[in-house]
Amino acid sequence: MFQLLEYGVRGLLSGAVYGLLALPMSLLFLTTGTIDFAVGAYALIAAAVAVTVGGVAGFAAGIGAALLAAALMALVFVLLKRRGNEDSITVALASFGLAVGIASLVLWRWSTQAFVLPSFATFWDVGGIRISPQGFINLGIALAMVGLLYVVLYRTDLGRMMRAAAVNPRGAELAGIPVTRVQCGAFLAGGAVAGLAGLLIVCSSGLDYTIPLPLTLAGFGAAIIFGIRSPLRGFAGGAAMGIVEAVSAGYASSVVASLVPSLFVLAVLSAQFFFQSRFSGDRP
Amino acid sequence: MMRVLRERPNTCIIVVAAAVGVLAVQGRPVGTDNAVLIGIQALIALSVGLSYGQAGILSMAQAVLAAVGGYLSAILALRFGVSPYLTLVPAIALPTALAWVLARFVTPLDHLAAALATLALSTVVEIVARSWDSVTGGYVGLTGVPSLPGVTTPGMFAGLVWFVVALAVFLYENLMRSAYGRALNTVRHDRARATADGVDVPALMSAGFAFAAALAGLAGWLYVHYITYMSPSSLDTHASISVLLMAVVGGVGYVLGPVIGTVLLSLLMHLLPAQEVQGLFFGGALVLILLLARDGLLGYADRTTRAWRAARKGTA
Amino acid sequence: MKARRYLARTVLGWAAGVLLGLGAQAAEPIRIGVVLSTSGPAASFGIPERDALVLATEHVNAGGGVNGRRIELFHYDDKTNPTEAARGVTQLVASHKVVAIVGPGTGGGALAAGPVAERLKVPLLAPAATIGVTDRKHSFFPWIFRVGVDDSKVVHGILADMARHGLKRVGIFHQEDAYGKAGADYARSVAADLGVEIVEVVSVPYNAIDVGAQATRLRNARPDAVLLQVASTPLATAYVKTAEQIGLKAVTYAGAAMVQKTFVDSVGKAGEGIRVTSIGNLAHDPSPSEAKFAEVVKKAGRTPGGWMELIGADAIMAIVAAAGKIPGEPTGPAMRDAIESLCGFAQYTRGKTCLSSDYHEVLNESSLVITEIRDGEFRTRK
Repeated sequence: MFQLLEYGVRGLLSGAVYGLLALPMSLLFLTTGTIDFAVGAYALIAAAVAVTVGGVAGFAAGIGAALLAAALMALVFVLLKRRGNEDSITVALASFGLAVGIASLVLWRWSTQAFVLPSFATFWDVGGIRISPQGFINLGIALAMVGLLYVVLYRTDLGRMMRAAAVNPRGAELAGIPVTRVQCGAFLAGGAVAGLAGLLIVCSSGLDYTIPLPLTLAGFGAAIIFGIRSPLRGFAGGAAMGIVEAVSAGYASSVVASLVPSLFVLAVLSAQFFFQSRFSGDRP
Repeated sequence: MMRVLRERPNTCIIVVAAAVGVLAVQGRPVGTDNAVLIGIQALIALSVGLSYGQAGILSMAQAVLAAVGGYLSAILALRFGVSPYLTLVPAIALPTALAWVLARFVTPLDHLAAALATLALSTVVEIVARSWDSVTGGYVGLTGVPSLPGVTTPGMFAGLVWFVVALAVFLYENLMRSAYGRALNTVRHDRARATADGVDVPALMSAGFAFAAALAGLAGWLYVHYITYMSPSSLDTHASISVLLMAVVGGVGYVLGPVIGTVLLSLLMHLLPAQEVQGLFFGGALVLILLLARDGLLGYADRTTRAWRAARKGTA
Repeated sequence: MKARRYLARTVLGWAAGVLLGLGAQAAEPIRIGVVLSTSGPAASFGIPERDALVLATEHVNAGGGVNGRRIELFHYDDKTNPTEAARGVTQLVASHKVVAIVGPGTGGGALAAGPVAERLKVPLLAPAATIGVTDRKHSFFPWIFRVGVDDSKVVHGILADMARHGLKRVGIFHQEDAYGKAGADYARSVAADLGVEIVEVVSVPYNAIDVGAQATRLRNARPDAVLLQVASTPLATAYVKTAEQIGLKAVTYAGAAMVQKTFVDSVGKAGEGIRVTSIGNLAHDPSPSEAKFAEVVKKAGRTPGGWMELIGADAIMAIVAAAGKIPGEPTGPAMRDAIESLCGFAQYTRGKTCLSSDYHEVLNESSLVITEIRDGEFRTRK
């Protein structure tokens, strides 16, 4: 029983990072109706710059680099929008192109080195489970971000503008909301959060140039399984995936443990099938 | 006969282009090798075009479905000594069945959730392929797969592959011209309207996705009997994303779009420097193409011709 | 008298000029292909291997080449994809008429390219550690050589060392790929014979960002030693740090893939005492022959890293030795036969190998060194 608890706790801590990655995804989807596949790349470039610059300034520089990359994506988005592009898949693919470009840039400039920072040498004993302070930091920051996002989206004017832009862009424009600016803001905020996730990973386990795609897919999965429209659900999705992964790693054979996350996703999505009577794509 | 041809412009174009291409590369090993591999990728891209462009299911699993076909054919040929020509039917049937089952669960979901489901399926298949050592050879895969009897040179294989591509285009074009095709298009635009028309939406989308998977399985069969080796990393999620890009760049709503996108992106990858920075150029080129041609290259061509024709009518 | 001497000298001079001119025209370069992963996950190996073999080639050419011929390299990036690896071999042979190819660097790539090499009759020198690459059962076996040490030898050596030190309970932490799984399966098959017991095996995908659960499971099995069958530095680093944090007290052994400066730098203090079986010890304790290559690297303004560079360089040295045995212009089949006849050729990595038509390993156990990380360096254990 205790063992199960220990696996669960570890899963929650690692799931916090997935949840953090889900935030940019759901925020962006909420505001623009599209997906940014470059979140993994933002995390990577933040990590690379932070480790190279070093120290506290490095962290700031890392977030800055991620913001720069996200700004580039926002620019591409605006250009695509100006050209009358209505298909969200095009933006998603463009973000994928950007992600490939950033990963290649990192490979070229930093070669195949791993980006990692020294972690805490001590640990805290919580009910018999040894947890690094870093784990608590990750969880704390993730929860703080979720809370912040929730407050902004549902309790401020900016948030109302963002949600309006998502539900009815044309109506929002007519109401005087600067839709495009709000959407660019969403890209930048997403980039900053993704960069933050990258920095947390650097302090926990480290990453290298192969991380963007798997990280993005992890965030994508976390955001979608419980419904992408709410950042809270995205975080819950991340936590759930982390716990499921950890518990299956602890008890099941390697093969089953590697299958479980995908089967979990399929199960959750199929559940919607059984509980839903309407199709998506129906008229509202 | 002439009317049949005239009403199927895509088929005519691909037959002529493929014939010219295949003849041009005969006797040139690099050319024939590329022709075969590009043709196989074009088939998988066509499968993406059908499933996403027409049925509206964004699938990130097409390359893995091709791998399923390839693996099954390899296993039957290696372990049971079945002739490769006979393994063709199972190689097409299994991915089709898998896709149909998945589609039944996935059709009520929105685009993104469906894409995630296909991704999850893709991961499951990859894990099964690399763990089932006794059957699939595990990570190391299956070597020594027999090539197709009678197709002795790469040049002949290139001819075979592009014949299959032309055939696939023909079938695709026929489908889109039929009532089913029209119904699929209605479903993509407005499901409520389609249901009101009496279309069984889930069944139709599943059928579309299944047909797309059949094309993918066929591509996998061709792949494994050309390379004579199959591993979990031969046709994986990365490859699925590549063909998705190729289909979109060419124009996913158009029949020939995926084929053109495949040829163009393959050429692009060959012209790029073969080192670490290749990704930078590829990503940049992709963004540029998407900026300039939002419906893909065929969409751009389509709009330009229409604008030109309208302008001519205006001044005439 | 003077005129005759003058005439003789002129004729001699002219004759010498003609002969030299003919000699210069006849010195066609030796064309060698390089199919390595310089992008994708295996680039961490492909890039250093490529850089090293380029340096080694320049060094050879600066010294006059082989039998007066320069070595010319032609590159192809297989992007860690077996299809691309096969394509690369086809292209390099067809377009550039290479007579031997260094690569592919991954197991899957080598197995996909094998049939192509067999058909086009060009030998492959594959720096791939995956156990099945030089299996006799493949029909293309005659055309593929391994430049590296068969991983089964490395794992065998590690388990034997564990037994020698009384570390009987062994846990395995492996990467979910061919290298990790094959190594773990091999360890399980020979454990009993070597006197150790495999108490737990856990596996992780190569890009996992958290290994807490797997490390905890391993810890709960209370092993004396852990075989870290991992090739990705971030993954290994994550394991080492997590293990320390959750109280996994066991001696860690790793295979050659971990002999990378980036690994030692990343793990810091937590890495003290980790035993790594290395192919040579280029960076911290080179043998005389390895030191020679370290000099070549330093003269080019770079820092010697580790075993990957030795493998890349030795692939070229094997080619040099083989081509040296061929009078006239080398061909694919001639190169293959020459490589099979090599015994104790001039290689940079310590040790000596003899190849034959049955034995296609360019390096063997004599190149292995068991090192231990002390003060951020790989120190050879005596």
